[in-house]
Parts: sequence; structure tokens; C-alpha cells
Amino acid sequence: MKAVRAVAAVVLAAVPARLSAQHFVVGPQVVFGDYREVSADLHYRGGGGGLAGSFTWKKLAAEAAFVSIKYEPAGDGTAVASFTAKQLDVRVRYYVTGPVSAEVGFVRRKADPEFEAQSVGAVRAGARMAYPLGPGVRMALRGGMLFGPKFSGGGKSSGLGALEIGLFFVVDGLRGRLRFSGDYDFQRFARKADDGSGEVDVPIQQSLGRVGLAVAF
Amino acid sequence: MRCVAWLLVALAVAVPRGPVAAQTVQNATLRRAQQAYENLEYRQGLGLAQAALRERLSGFERARAYELLGFTFSAMDSILKAVDAFKQVVLLEPERELDPNRTSPKALSAFQVALTQVLVVRQLRVDSSEFVGGQGGGAVGMRYTVTQPARVVTRVVGGQTALKIDSTVANGQVNLRWPARLPSGDPVPSGTYTVVVEATVGQNSFSASQPIRIAHGAVDTLPHLTSLPGYEYLPETEVPPKSSRPMGLALVYAGVALAGTAALSEGDLGSTSLREAGVIGTGVVLAGFIMTLKKPAPQPARGNILYNQLLREQIARRNAEISQDNVRRRQQVQVTVVPLPKSGAGR
Repeated sequence: MKAVRAVAAVVLAAVPARLSAQHFVVGPQVVFGDYREVSADLHYRGGGGGLAGSFTWKKLAAEAAFVSIKYEPAGDGTAVASFTAKQLDVRVRYYVTGPVSAEVGFVRRKADPEFEAQSVGAVRAGARMAYPLGPGVRMALRGGMLFGPKFSGGGKSSGLGALEIGLFFVVDGLRGRLRFSGDYDFQRFARKADDGSGEVDVPIQQSLGRVGLAVAF
Repeated sequence: MRCVAWLLVALAVAVPRGPVAAQTVQNATLRRAQQAYENLEYRQGLGLAQAALRERLSGFERARAYELLGFTFSAMDSILKAVDAFKQVVLLEPERELDPNRTSPKALSAFQVALTQVLVVRQLRVDSSEFVGGQGGGAVGMRYTVTQPARVVTRVVGGQTALKIDSTVANGQVNLRWPARLPSGDPVPSGTYTVVVEATVGQNSFSASQPIRIAHGAVDTLPHLTSLPGYEYLPETEVPPKSSRPMGLALVYAGVALAGTAALSEGDLGSTSLREAGVIGTGVVLAGFIMTLKKPAPQPARGNILYNQLLREQIARRNAEISQDNVRRRQQVQVTVVPLPKSGAGR
């Protein structure tokens, strides 16, 4: 405990009092989510933790977030086994004009055990609208498409069938040294797979909420 | 007792005599002549004044004797003789002026005629001045009156310096401006000098002089400006009025997220979970609500920023000019010219 306090003190002391246009933010997150696959019967809910970081330089920003979430079968479904999803989100954002920025990146989610849920990877492209609510408080709404999704169990999804939407807010504290953030991500893959009798719909859907505390450098 | 007497005599000799003592008529004959003139006994006064002139008189007394003759001849309507007498007065005391309020018009007229018939340089004056020497453009004012048309040469002499500062044919009052500069352009070194004005007509010449002291000092430099008079910096931020916009937008953003989630959800997967969107959306709305209640953050006032920028540029430009001017000023000297009391009249 003493070591944690000492590390926190060193980290906070190293943060410059006045942040420049170029800054780096990193911090842990608490994650909770809802996962559905194929039908209403395969319904999971769970929680976990993660780590998120971002780097901003002028109009450019890069974000990466890693979460590990343990999904348990929900009471309204028939699933019996839980699984752990480890998801990596990477976004590179470029400010365009007004509140609008363009985003590209990728998402990779791996399920463990492998056969309990689909592992998926896709390239994302979208836009983000940010608005400052007040001094040190900002919110953003983002939406985009997930291109070229690959599933561990095979199948495909068109660009329009793989969509995501998100809501984000951040509150600065200690003159911007600390940041409290809330992030919501919803993904939907309209996956189709061929089981030998023709293409069938095997959709995947995940809602992810993240609450985090980060230190800005 | 004898010692005390000698001490008193020594003190009397040592004490400098003031102008009043020096300019008192001592000659008894002349005093009797003045008394006779005041009693309107012109003939008696005339004889006594002429008798006084044959006696040993100081310059001042001699001038008073001729002046008395001029007044007496004027009173007796002998204008030519009055003019001759006044000419002697002018030669003896070129600076002599008659008080028009206490002098008869005849005597004044005769005195003016006498002035035009004698070559003298009168009323030489040097102004007290302080200016930037060398190429600074300042100058000291001088003026004199020459009573007849004459070639007048003005010089400044002192130490090893002898400068001709003017040469002209003049009559009446002459005004000069002297930049106190050597031919090289440098300021005249500090010290005591004499301004000599010499008028020449044929064989006649007259000169008048005025001692002056020239001192050097440093030229004052200008302080840099921190503001322009009449112009003040404006606040670069302004607090906008309170607005419910943050709350409204937070509701819109959260609503869009929730509606988007509902719209994108697959119907085959059952009812959509809005727990995650609800938690984060509530956070957004709460933040928007708090921001609506809070005093808005100051926003940059673009007009004021541009105005301040312009003001800063103006001050910087003026300070750059002042810096250049100060560099020049540090290379200059402040010349002070002060006229000194005269030791004697011209001749």
C-alpha cells in the first residue's frame, strides 16, 4: 500500500502544472458489459478491468484501451459457461472542423475459452463529435463502421452490418492532472455464416461501459 | 585708539563699492550744475556743467555732465548743441537710455538723433539657453542694436577658440542664433567665452562684448513606454451569460446514444440492454446539469485580443524608436549657455 502511494505521489509530482498542447494520459478503468450472440438465449453479462491511454499532439490523437471482462451467463438465457473476453481498441483521431473529428483504428476481441464465444477483429472508421460542457468537462458522441471483420468461427459481415456507436465524457480534476472518464461502446456485427444448409444469421452484439480515472502528463 | 582708526580705514578700502556708491556724482561743481538745472536756472547750470567738464571727472560724472548739457540745450531750444552733448553721452555710455516718462520730447528727440550720428553697438544680449549640442539642432539666441549702417562681425573668443559666427551689414536691431558648434560640427568645449560684436564704418569702429559660460551635460534619455496615454488594455476573456445549452446538448448526446443503440440492436438477440448506455448517459446528463448551474467559463474575446495585440505592437514600435533615439542621445551633449555679468562697457 505504501509502495502504491509512493508511486502515485511520484506520478503526480512529475505532471507539469500547466499542460501543453501535447500530452499523454493513462489510467485504469472499471468495465461492465452485456454480450449477446446468435440468439436471445446466448446472453452474458459481466465486469472486469482495463487500462486506457491516449496521446494528443496538435490535431492528432491516438487512443488505446485494453479490457478484460469476465462474462457470466445471464439469467434470461440458456448459456451455461462463462468466458473471458479480452478486447483491444485502438483509435487514431484527427480533428477536422468545429466539433468533428475523423477516427480510424481497429478492434480485436478474443474469447477464452475459445469456443464459448466468437473472437473477432475488424478495422474501424468513423467520426466523433465533441462538445465542451464547461471548464474541464467534455463529452463526445462517436459512430462508425467496422470493416473486414474476421470471426474465429468463420462467417462474414458487410460494412453496413458491422456498426458501432459510443458516448464519452471526461471531467478534469486537479487542474487537468486527473481525469475521470465514462465511456460507452455499442457494437453490432450482423454476421452471417454458412452451416451447410445456406447462410444463416448469427449476429453478435456487445454493450460496454467503462469508468476510469487517469493521470495526465 | 589709532589701531581702531586704521582698522576702520582698512575695512572701508577692502569693502567693495556697490553700484550706487560708484554712480554717485561726487564733483561739487557738477552737483551745483544739477541743482541749477532743477531750479530752472539753465544759464547758470550751463556754465557750471561746462566748468565741471574742465575739471577732473570720472567717466560716470563726465557722462552726467554731458547729459545735463544735452537737457539744458534742449530746454533752451539749442537742438544741435543738445545733439552734440548727447553724442558724447552715447560714446561714454552706449547703453544709456532716457526714461520717456520723465524726459521732455525735445530732449528725447535730440537723444535719438544723437544715437543715429554715433556708431555704437548697444544692447548686446545673449539668452540663457539649454539645448542639445552638435547636430542636435538647438541654438542660443543673441541680439544687439547697431546705431548706424555698418559692417558688423560677431565673434566668440575664449581660450584657444576664436569663432566668427556672423558677418553682416546691419542697421538697427540684429537677431542671431548660434548653434555653439565648432566648424567640425562638434559642440564648443565647455568654458568661459566672450561674444564680441564689432561694427565698422570707414575709419570708425565700435565693439561690444558679453561674457558667457558654456557648460556641458548629459542629454536626458527617454523612458520606455508601458502603455500609450489614452489607451488601455482590454480583458482578453469575457464570461458569457449563463446558458442551458450544456444541459440541452448533454440530453441530446445521451439521447442519440440510447436511440442509436436501440436502433442498431438486432431484434433476434432479444431486448437491448441499456444498462451501460444508461450509466454513461446519466453521467453525461449530470455533467451537463452541473455545468448549466455553474458560472460559464471565460471565453476568449477575439476583438479585445486583436485590440491588445495592436496596442502591444504600437508600444513595441514606439519603444524601438525610443531605444534608437536614446542611443543617439547618449552620444550627444547638453549645452548650457549662461551670460555672465559684464566687466565694462564697449568702445
